[in-house]
Parts: sequence; structure tokens; C-alpha cells
Amino acid sequence: MTLVDFINLLINGTVEGLLIALPALALTLVMGLARFPNAATGDYMTLAAYAGIGAQSLAGGALVAGGIGAVAAGAAVSVAFYLWVFRALRGRPPVANLVASIGIAFFARSLLTLFAGQDQQTYAVPLVRAWNFDGIRLLPTDLYVAGIALLAMALLFALLHLTPIGRQMRAIADNPDLARACGIRSGRVLIALWAVVGVLCALGGMMFGIKAVVMPEMGWELLIPAFAAMILGGIGSPAGAVVGGVLLGVASELSVPFVGPSYKIAVAFALLLIVLLVRPRGLFGKALVAR
Amino acid sequence: MSERFSRRDLLLASAALAGATAWPGRALAQAGVMRIGSLCPVTGAGSPYGSGMQKAIEIAVAEVNAAGGAGGSKLELFSEDGQTKPDAAVLAAKKLIEVNKVQAILGTWSSGVTLAVMPLTDAANIIEMNTSGAPAISQLDKKDLVWRFQATNDRFGQAFAVIAEKRGFKRPATMAFNNASGIGNADGFKKAWERKGGKVVASVVYEPNRPSYRTELQQVLAAKPDVIVTGSYLPDSTIILREWYQSGQDLKWIMPSWAANPDLVKALGNEVVEGLISVDSVSNENAASYKHFDAAFNAATGKSASTNVYAAMCYDMVVCIALAMEAAGPNATVLQVNAKIREVANPDGTKVYTFSEGKKLLAEKKKVNYEGASGRLDFDQYGDVSPDFGVYVVEKGQLVRRDVVSI
Repeated sequence: MTLVDFINLLINGTVEGLLIALPALALTLVMGLARFPNAATGDYMTLAAYAGIGAQSLAGGALVAGGIGAVAAGAAVSVAFYLWVFRALRGRPPVANLVASIGIAFFARSLLTLFAGQDQQTYAVPLVRAWNFDGIRLLPTDLYVAGIALLAMALLFALLHLTPIGRQMRAIADNPDLARACGIRSGRVLIALWAVVGVLCALGGMMFGIKAVVMPEMGWELLIPAFAAMILGGIGSPAGAVVGGVLLGVASELSVPFVGPSYKIAVAFALLLIVLLVRPRGLFGKALVAR
Repeated sequence: MSERFSRRDLLLASAALAGATAWPGRALAQAGVMRIGSLCPVTGAGSPYGSGMQKAIEIAVAEVNAAGGAGGSKLELFSEDGQTKPDAAVLAAKKLIEVNKVQAILGTWSSGVTLAVMPLTDAANIIEMNTSGAPAISQLDKKDLVWRFQATNDRFGQAFAVIAEKRGFKRPATMAFNNASGIGNADGFKKAWERKGGKVVASVVYEPNRPSYRTELQQVLAAKPDVIVTGSYLPDSTIILREWYQSGQDLKWIMPSWAANPDLVKALGNEVVEGLISVDSVSNENAASYKHFDAAFNAATGKSASTNVYAAMCYDMVVCIALAMEAAGPNATVLQVNAKIREVANPDGTKVYTFSEGKKLLAEKKKVNYEGASGRLDFDQYGDVSPDFGVYVVEKGQLVRRDVVSI
């Protein structure tokens, strides 16, 4: 493998990893604050991606309109399901919430296929040739996708660390009882959380749709990689989700010359296993304290 | 709960059930009907074809009954939707077998569905007829009850090799979706190409549901192929072709028609797919049977039979069974009918193009060879056929047929 091949694989892996990092962030935020694995994360992505395509074609092909439509739909869907289902289940064991989220996933997907059908949909994006730097190929779409993902992450970290609502989120994540004793109204914070989760899912779904194709199962299929990225990075750690996603992406792409494309996913999961053996809480996770 | 079964009822019922299932060769003529189940993909990925397939079965059943039935029996049709999903199709097949007591299940389309339904039809000792491609179906057909009216993926691969040779390609590479069908296409091509003395410069098997196939493409493109032959589906082909186009390397593509269809052109735009070669099995277009079916299909649906190759296959399924029933004579069991299918469709007999023609000759104790609307229908030892293949080239966004090849 030459250096050029290596760099190309590195680029592919990073872009794929950044794509996975968006739903992984959504998962890890819910884990940290609402304390359950949200299995509907993938289907929020799918719904938002379809909404984006719908908005784009309504607006006569403007991709920005698609983005606005996707983000609005993602946030609306996520908050609506919180108000409808998860709010009623607060204080119940995580399993109850997990099962409810699986139900939401199936419900959302079936509703979607009822109206949108099983056929694939695509975002109308002009195709441009890759920039070729002595064999190192950079796709403008990839740069665009990676740029949006990085921007979304930067905004999320700014929200978490620089705004009052972000501080409240982190307080609840640290210790919900103490946060309540300090007068933090968790209802408002949770609505903000689910809105942010919806936006992250929407961006992830749309970026995936631009790079690949939009199909009813696409988000559900992404759930396992997103879970893996969250666990690798440490449950509840936003920075960990991003690092975990990129690591898994890069590891699987770099393994292709050695094990072939059929086993690259297995390599990514082997990496996850090794990290968890050495460091069970994940890369950036806090050790769980038994209560 | 007074409605509960008493122990005696239960015993009786299970004894009756055991007796019924232990009687594999149920006679057809008991009620003078042959019950046929249609299990076409009316919804799901096969939905563009499913309703036409079901219509074709209805047309054929009506024709056979109008001609006075076959072997002294009338045909009775029960239709279910296979939904292109193995789990849904299995439920529907169970209903057809256990409730409707059908003696044949016709029209399963996707390989996954056929592979899931086969164990049920085999256990019930009834006939299964499909339009699926997976080579595994041939090997699993131990009782010779499964009949395939579509070319296997292996034969598609052989057709790809003939086309690649005809068009003068020298350095082919393959890319295959990791399932029985995708790998079947690519391996079929590789074997046929190597028999011709050629060499495949690179082969990649890729996983479904990936956001990108750049790494896989990079591996294949590094071998500098002049053509890439795929065993792929629509979504992955969309992603692969988009990334290939953006990479800027010049080469041609040969793809199966279920991947390279008008939806692919719509998703990518005319420029990307220009010159792409799409391969499909073609109906027996010059035969009288095709013209006969085309007229009937057009009258029933308002569409030409050429819009749905699988419809002609389904039509032929019913005709084959009816001719076999006629050849087996009255009171024949399903297994006796099944044993006659090759005899009425394979060479040596007088060529016939409709059921009524065949019925007349069979009544005179002559041998017949049904030449179907979908193909010559000469079943090999596995119950598979070899149709001809159409070569379609994408020109300005339109799939234009440029050639027909036989293997």
C-alpha cells in the first residue's frame, strides 16, 4: 500500500466516521440526560432525510431549503415523541424507555413507508469531479459533508459549555437530584435536549442521504455503528462520541487492504472489543458509580 | 370456558391432521379441481412487477378453464401477496397450503422469498414455481418439485461474459453485493470469462448499507479495468456509480437490469450513466405463444407484455402445469403431474404454443414441447431454464436494446 492509497483511505474513513458521529452524539446526549438508549435515533434520521428531500423538491431544488426542512422536521419529530411518549415514562426503568423507543422506531418507519413507499430517493446535488492532488482524491461533496458535521459539533459544544441551558444540561447529566435541588427545571431542559437531538439526527440523515441514498431502512441500519461509536468513546461523553465515530470509520477503511471489504466492519468491532477490555468505560467515559 | 376442546376432540383432530399430512400424493380429481396458489410480490421491492405477474396467472387459468380444463380437472386460483418479504411470504404460503389446500405455489420473485417458501412446499409435496436467480435454489431442490422460469445468476454471469467478449473488453473487474445473488452473478462471469481464456483483474465483494463505497472502488480502479461487471442492486449501484463518476476514471459498466433500470438513470442523471450496459433476460418475442400472451396481457392491463418479463414467466407456469396435468391424465397426484412437466416442455415432441394446441395433441397421444411466451422452456436436471438475454445500452437517459445474446 502506497502513501497515496493510505491517505485516500484515511480520508474515506474520516468522512464516514464524522457521519456516524452525528447520530452517536444524539445517542450519547440522551444516554447522559434521559438515561436510556434511544433506539428510535436512526428513524429520526430517516424521517428528517425524507422531509429534506420533500422540502428540496417543493422549493424547486434548493439544497438549503432541503436542509432547513430536514432540521425543522427532525427537531419537531424528536420533541413530539418526547412530549407524547418519553415524558410519560420519566422515572421508569431504562428498559421501559428502550422498549418504547423501539416501538417508536417501528411506528415511524411504517408510517413513512405508507406514504413514501419503499423506493429509494436521492437529494439533487450537482456531481463534480474529485480534486486530484497527485492521486489523493478529494471529493467536494465529502468536504461539504465533513464541514457541516464539524460545524454542527462545534455549535453543540458551544451550546453545552457556553450557554445557561447547556450548563443546566450538564448539571442534570452529572447529578439529576442535585440539579433539581438547585432549582433547575428539568422539563424545559429536556425539551431543549430533544430538539438538539432532533437537529443532530436531521443533519446526520441529510448528510447520509447526500452521500448515499435515502431509503426507509437507512437510519435503522446506522443504529449499530452509532451505538458502537458511543460505547467506544464512553457513554454520555459528547467528545467521546465524535472520537469514537472517527476511530471506527478510519479503522474499518484502513483494514481493507489487509482483510478485504467484507471484513472491515468486523475489524471496527474488534477494535471496540479491545478498547473495552482495556478500558471498560470507553475512551472518555466516567467510571460508573453504583448507587 | 366451555368451548375448549375436550381431550377426545383434540386426539381426533390431531389424528386426522397426522393422517392428512402423511398422505403426500393427494389425488387431484377428488373434487375435479387443481388448486393453485399465486404468491407474487404485489407490494415491496417487487411491486413494479407483482400485479402484472398475478394478472398473467389469472389470464392463463381462465384460458385453461375456457378450454375445458386439464386432465379432467378445472383450475382454481387463490392469490396472496408475498410482499417481497420472506417472513410475510412464509405466512401467506402457510395459509395457501393449510387453509386453501393448494397443490402448487406460483410466482415467487425474489430469491429470499423463494428460499423461505421452498421448505414449506417441499414438506407438503407440492409444486413451487419461481422467477428467482439464486444458484442455491437448484442445489436445495432435492425433490425436483421446484421450477425456475428465470435465468440463474450464474447464467446471467455467463451472459455478461459473452457480452464483454463481443464488445471487445480485455480487462474486466467484478464488484458483487454480498449475498447469494450478487456473488452468483460475479462468480458466473468469472468462471465463464476464464473458460474463454481471459483474466479478471480485480474482484471485490462489498457489504450492503454503507454510506460510501469509495474504498472498494479504489481497490478495483487500482487494477485499471476497462469494464466493471457487477452483481448489484439499485441503491448500492447508485452510490458506486456516483463515486466512480466523481473519481473521473474512464471505463464501462455491465449490470443486471434489476440494478440498471430507469430509476438508476433518474437518481444519477443522464451524464453519469451514458453508455452503461444493462442486461436482462428477454421473452420469447418471435414465438406465437408470446404474441398470443401479449395480446391477452394488453387487453387485461393496457400494457405490452414487454414491460414486465416476469408476467410472461408466470403465464407459462400455469400452462406448463396444465399441460402436465393433461399428460398425466385424470386422477393423477401432484407428484405424477410434477413428473410430466419436463416431458411437455422439453424437446422431442411437436412444438406447441398454446395450451389448447397442446391439449389436442396430447389427446391424440402425441408428445408435445411447449415453447413458452417467456422462453423455449427447456428445463435442465435442476428444473432451470436458459432464456435469451437482451443487451440494453443507456443512450441519452434511455435504455435502448442493442443486441440479444444466447449462452
